[in-house]
Amino acid sequence: MRIKKSNRIAPDWWTKTIAATLLGYLLALGLVGLFAWFGPGGIDAKSKVQFNVWLTPLIWLLIVSFSFLFKSGLRAFLWLSASNCVVYGALYLFK
Amino acid sequence: MKIRSDVLRIYQLIHSWTGIFAGIILFIGFFAGSLTMFKDQIAQWATPPHHVLAPVKFTQLDSLISQATSSHDKARSGFSLYLNDTTRSPMMWYEKGTARGLALDKQRQHASLNAQGQLITHRAEQGVLAELIDQLHRSAGIAGAIGYRIAGEYVLGTAAIVYFLAIVSGIIFLLPSLTKNFFAIRKDKSEKRFWLDTHNLVGITSLPFHLVISLTVVVFTFNSQIYASLGTAVYGDQPLFPRSNTVAHVYPFTELPPVAKFQAIVDEQAPGYIIKELRFVGLDTAWPFAQLGIYNPTALMRGPTTDYIFMHPFTLEVSNNSASTADDAIWNRIVASFYALHFGSFGGDIGRWSYFILGLGGAFLFYSGNLLWLEKRRVKQQSAENVKQTRACRLMAAATVGMCLGSIAGVAITMVVAKWLYPLVDNINHAYLYSYYGVFFSFVFYSFYKGAAKAAITLLKVCMFSCFAITATSLVAMLLPQLGLYVVINFTSIGVDIVALLAGFAFMYFYKITKHRALYGPKDSVWALPKPLSTI
Repeated sequence: MRIKKSNRIAPDWWTKTIAATLLGYLLALGLVGLFAWFGPGGIDAKSKVQFNVWLTPLIWLLIVSFSFLFKSGLRAFLWLSASNCVVYGALYLFK
Repeated sequence: MKIRSDVLRIYQLIHSWTGIFAGIILFIGFFAGSLTMFKDQIAQWATPPHHVLAPVKFTQLDSLISQATSSHDKARSGFSLYLNDTTRSPMMWYEKGTARGLALDKQRQHASLNAQGQLITHRAEQGVLAELIDQLHRSAGIAGAIGYRIAGEYVLGTAAIVYFLAIVSGIIFLLPSLTKNFFAIRKDKSEKRFWLDTHNLVGITSLPFHLVISLTVVVFTFNSQIYASLGTAVYGDQPLFPRSNTVAHVYPFTELPPVAKFQAIVDEQAPGYIIKELRFVGLDTAWPFAQLGIYNPTALMRGPTTDYIFMHPFTLEVSNNSASTADDAIWNRIVASFYALHFGSFGGDIGRWSYFILGLGGAFLFYSGNLLWLEKRRVKQQSAENVKQTRACRLMAAATVGMCLGSIAGVAITMVVAKWLYPLVDNINHAYLYSYYGVFFSFVFYSFYKGAAKAAITLLKVCMFSCFAITATSLVAMLLPQLGLYVVINFTSIGVDIVALLAGFAFMYFYKITKHRALYGPKDSVWALPKPLSTI
């Protein structure tokens, strides 16, 4: 399958890795935050924090794994930052 | 399934480089991890049988405690009882060192009752062979400390992150050909094809196991960092853990409840479980606790061999029960099952054997991955004799052979040394460390010095002999008792000898095919030897 040059994914190893590692971890924390506050049991369910500790790296590692699908490192930065804004906005607005 | 070629290319690159970075470290972790599935059995194999005192009846335990604690001061601050277990003395406490951490000079007092119901005790160094194998599993043998952890644990934790990427990228770039080639193992096409097919088959069939191991290792290593960041970003003022309402108080030893009270709590709060270990810590301090190791072969257990109940030894207030089936314990149970999925502590012996095999399968995956990396970069020139491979290939091949085989032989030879040196030295534990690192670094050195092709042949032979030596040592000890070697004759310990024997035969086979390939295989390979050497 031929892909047009403008459509091809740039590897951008370093920028994508850095964006995914740092912003991805922040995003994972935010998503887990939504689950911790608004998910089953709420924030003070007994021992739920232990489960959240397991959920965080799972989400983070999935974000890191699939961040290489962004078309460029810049896009990875922009998309992950935007998602962080939305997630943390919701978290601090509603908790 | 069709995937865009640029996506495939990216994930193929991720897969090769993550594999090269983490492969050898993970090989050691998986190989040693397989052995830790039988940590208790190996410990028993390495423990002189005269160290273990006979068990006592359940009703005699209270008498054992009171006799032991009235004559031994150390026992009053803490001790362990072993119930339903003939492989350990019924009561033990530390005269030197504590239960936490690994030290080479720990001494434990073993206690039991004789036929007249009177106290018998003896003092023995705690053998740490099995503990060291466990440490090798957790740190890949990389020593040094960072905070309260071994530096190697962070290395393995980082390798586990990379390993997750390797798994995901491996699946992605395998997807297009998966349905077509899944069960095809094409031996006739080429050596490379055979390795690739087996690598893929083992990888895909054990995929859930690998995802679980990768995630659990990341959590085990970085849990305090994750707790801290969750606390800052999510919980804020909300406490992570409920505050305990226990008041600091020193209780007199005489108020310690009888063992039957603890049994009653297990029967009530964890039905179906039996107590394996009842450990009392800090009994003479203001913060005493009791830790119960409880066992149920049909449960997913939180610890490597048991579930746990933590409680106050005097008030009997339970602070945590990993086996609880109460409604509010659901998160507790889910988390316990993640632990169980790492430790293989479910399904009894079948679970352990499956994990043993899956672990060895994992080690194979990393080894074959490195071989494939080498094959891919092979300089092919079928006409010429002795084509020189690239420097990177030669170094990678030497590292793979030296470190992987070095860790295996290191453990095997250390087990042999354990038995032969036992009658000769005061504290065998120091010999373990010298022997493991001595063998490991000799292997690595030899491999870089002689090159992978020759080293692989010689070192596989050494691996073979060291495995056979384990079994042979036990046999010699049995036939010639005058040598003073100890031998443990029971089903468990003979199991260790049988596995060592089978491993020896496996290495014999590997040795033969490796030698054949070096001499008669393609000459344009990093595994080829210049001419048939009679010396090999």
